[in-house]
Amino acid sequence: MSLCRPWRPRFAQAISVLWLALPAGLFAQEPTPSALASLEFAPLEFRQPDPERHRVDPGVEVFFVEDHSLPLVSLFARFRGGPSYFSREAQGATTAVPLLLRSGGTLDLSPDSVDQLLEFYAAETSFGGGGPSSFSSVNTLKRHLDEVLEIWRSLLRDPAFDPARVEVWRGQRLGAVRRRSDAPARLAIAKFNNLMFEDHPVGWELRPEDLEPEDLAPEVLRSIHRSIYCWGNLTLGVTGDVTWDEIRPRLERLLDGWPPCDDDLEPPPPPTFSVEPGVYLLPMEIDQSTIIMGKPSDVRLADDEDYYAAQIGNSILGGAGLTSRLARRVRTEEGLAYGVASVWTMPRRSSGIIAATTQTKSESTVEAIHVIAQILGEVASEPPDDAEVRDAIDRIANGFVFNFETPGLIVSRQMIYESQNLPLDWLPRFLVGVQSVTPAAVHEVFRENLAPNGLDDMVILIAGDPARFDPGLEDLGPVRYLDLDEVVPRP
Amino acid sequence: MTSGHSVSGATLRGLVALGLLAVPVVTWADEGSSQVLTGEQLPVVEHELANGMRWLVLPRAGAPTVSFIVQFRVGGVNEARGHTGIAHLLEHLLFKGTETLGTRDAAAERALFVRMDALQDSILALERRGDTTAVPLIRERIDSLETQARAHVLPNEFERVLSTNGARGLNATTDYESTTYFVELPANRAELWFLLESDRMANPVFREFYAERDIVAEERRLRVETNPGGLLFEAHMAAAFTTHPYGQPVVGYMSDIQRLRRPDVAEYFRRYYGPSNAVVSVVGDIDSDQILAWAEEYFGGLPPSETPAPVLSREPVQNGERRVEVAFDAEPRVRIGWPIVETTHPDAPALSVLSWLLTGGRTSRLHRRLVLQDRVATAINSSIGPGVRFPGILTIDAAPRFPRTTEDVEAAIYAELDSLQQTLPSEREIQRIRNQLEASEVRRLTSNLGLALQLAGSTSAFGDWRTTFGFTDLLAAVEPEDVRRVARQFLTREHRTVATVVRPDSVAGR
Repeated sequence: MSLCRPWRPRFAQAISVLWLALPAGLFAQEPTPSALASLEFAPLEFRQPDPERHRVDPGVEVFFVEDHSLPLVSLFARFRGGPSYFSREAQGATTAVPLLLRSGGTLDLSPDSVDQLLEFYAAETSFGGGGPSSFSSVNTLKRHLDEVLEIWRSLLRDPAFDPARVEVWRGQRLGAVRRRSDAPARLAIAKFNNLMFEDHPVGWELRPEDLEPEDLAPEVLRSIHRSIYCWGNLTLGVTGDVTWDEIRPRLERLLDGWPPCDDDLEPPPPPTFSVEPGVYLLPMEIDQSTIIMGKPSDVRLADDEDYYAAQIGNSILGGAGLTSRLARRVRTEEGLAYGVASVWTMPRRSSGIIAATTQTKSESTVEAIHVIAQILGEVASEPPDDAEVRDAIDRIANGFVFNFETPGLIVSRQMIYESQNLPLDWLPRFLVGVQSVTPAAVHEVFRENLAPNGLDDMVILIAGDPARFDPGLEDLGPVRYLDLDEVVPRP
Repeated sequence: MTSGHSVSGATLRGLVALGLLAVPVVTWADEGSSQVLTGEQLPVVEHELANGMRWLVLPRAGAPTVSFIVQFRVGGVNEARGHTGIAHLLEHLLFKGTETLGTRDAAAERALFVRMDALQDSILALERRGDTTAVPLIRERIDSLETQARAHVLPNEFERVLSTNGARGLNATTDYESTTYFVELPANRAELWFLLESDRMANPVFREFYAERDIVAEERRLRVETNPGGLLFEAHMAAAFTTHPYGQPVVGYMSDIQRLRRPDVAEYFRRYYGPSNAVVSVVGDIDSDQILAWAEEYFGGLPPSETPAPVLSREPVQNGERRVEVAFDAEPRVRIGWPIVETTHPDAPALSVLSWLLTGGRTSRLHRRLVLQDRVATAINSSIGPGVRFPGILTIDAAPRFPRTTEDVEAAIYAELDSLQQTLPSEREIQRIRNQLEASEVRRLTSNLGLALQLAGSTSAFGDWRTTFGFTDLLAAVEPEDVRRVARQFLTREHRTVATVVRPDSVAGR
């Protein structure tokens, strides 16, 4: 191919049609790096939209952003209380409730009627729950707003938990449990959480015994529904083609007569991490291993130096795509994996984990573990370059405008801050916080959380075929075998 | 970067994503005022450079961001047997930098490329002779030379420059018929894209070639070889298309990937990545005059390119049912496909409505019967694909609900299809679909990137961004009788191809 000379983007068109035929070096073209250096960008003129904050009787907080660009309206509901607030035995039911709100009918509409109406109005709904919260949203053409809101209100407040639909859901969940080993990477993540968090909600996976019919009896589902879906737990968000004066009376109707909460839900106790570091093997006869290496970390979501340094550190380590260290070494240089990343969970009120994960062909499993360990050791031993820290900060600061791309993003973010007891100006605070991070601070937070050799104290989970590892796992110390049949019920 | 396999194909939803559908009526905010526009009236500015490169620019009020799409009309259908995966590998390699970006000394790199590529050719020669004893040693030498070359490389510089300027969503996807590169930037940094993308089109360097080829092999292991859904899809397509390249996997067969050559990738780039084979769409808070001025300034100098050879393969008429099994240690699932027509065929709208009628939502025919009523399946979907330019297949795929089998699922599907072939769908069913069409078309306009994809996709596939809007009218005009007619005509026993996942022990026991 002859297109192999420095490129000057602004050459005259008259000569461009000939340039393929000309010998190399004839054009003194400007190299791209110097052209980049000479680019000048105007300041970004942008007024950050702040959501309006209202309170609607009987006292529900509402975040609102008007947006008339399309004839659509979206409503978001977030409830304090989710699966982690309930016992291990109730996990089947707590997982079921949000989904059965949508599919199980209401006191005055059969499940079929709900389906027919929502699809006839072409409304989109979502219902879900995870960890400490439950949520729902609805999106509709403005002209169907009243009809759709009426249905949404019934779904959230007056669910029927129709037994036939409960049975459909039960079969689907049992099927999902059976199919876990069809997705080895996801299975490995679930098993890793189980190892790390043990008998804590984060480590729980649904088991067949959580899905017995009596676990999903109507009175069980109704009890959980009453505990979570009461107005004291509720925060609302609204965006779209409506004014506040238009939506306010509709919200008042939505909330009229909504039951209060009987009791305060108690959050789960913080996790205790007692798993022994070392190698855990989940044998599976597949061509590619999933590797997860991690350990507990006590960095919390808070307005402090450690949190901001850990955010920048994770970006440098493996949280920022191809430019992070893990991707550069494991993927780009060694060609060992398609995907590799680090994860640093920083919960608000308890400890989290720092981990790295990848998938590689069976033969290079141990090699990949050693490369990852080396990188973990490096960040624990030496501060990052100034340029790495600056790049990580620039990614956040220069892309800050994307936090305001859609009104839905703005509103739902404020609802999360509210639920996490974060200040509502958390986003600008976060920006200031990360901009003050130094290489020394990143080094310090890595040093506190990782061993100098990257392996000590690590829990290493491998899902793969040990007969094909080359070399084997011997170098990594004793191997504890996990039983796939305990993780996945077999047919 | 990712490879899109177009697994879901072009259902109504898929057609929307490909830009084949759009809104009949849109409220379009512009500088604080709102006005109602039909789809064709969207203020898209069209421009074609002298070298044939087509541009679509859509200024849009909102947050000061801009989305860029450049789509090349090349993908899996433009690959010869033995070279599958080359379009996808090229997509990966276009993130490796250029003659001046991502390198300290491109000349020194090139000197090493020659030696590495000669060694790779030696491996291929040995393999042809059947004498592979020296292959591991030669591979080590290639690795060693690539390590030497890496000393001159600034790795992932293309991504670093974009991401540190605040870019979001930098990625690319290779499909059967197109390869698409996308990124979003803060609007004030739009010129950066022109500088980098024009450099990439003019002066790409396929550095770190052998490591990247290994990465693609890992991607195949992830998406196909350890994934029962991926294996089933690949086997089903290979059985359904015996002649047309839709039967070949976009990611490539493993034995092909491991033998792709750098010079072949360079030649493939030369043939298919010329400006006349490219469409660019730019959507966001931008000034269209400025965008087009930059288009001329940065891309106007690219030399005109040859027109790639058209794909002439046509799938012969299928005579008789085909069945294929994938033995894999996984839960059962089934795919059933029927040959249909290309997207511009007059029957295509009725087939799209048929697909929606069968599995579009909880009230659809097959979901109601198989999931809710008979509880034979836990999930069921349908799709039309895998592309839009050539006759494809309408596929139904489903997961049986334990202890039901794929045979049970098939029987229930055929019973429902038989009912549909006998009895007209109700007006209410059709109206529901029309209502959903209207709403989903509005929703597709909520993001700049989504709009940019639709404009580029429609232009690349059909030559006109407006086709996206015209298709909506065709769908809305479909009558119940049209749906029954195409169900009778296309969904027949002798034309179907069925693929199932079965456990190896069940195969061994027969």
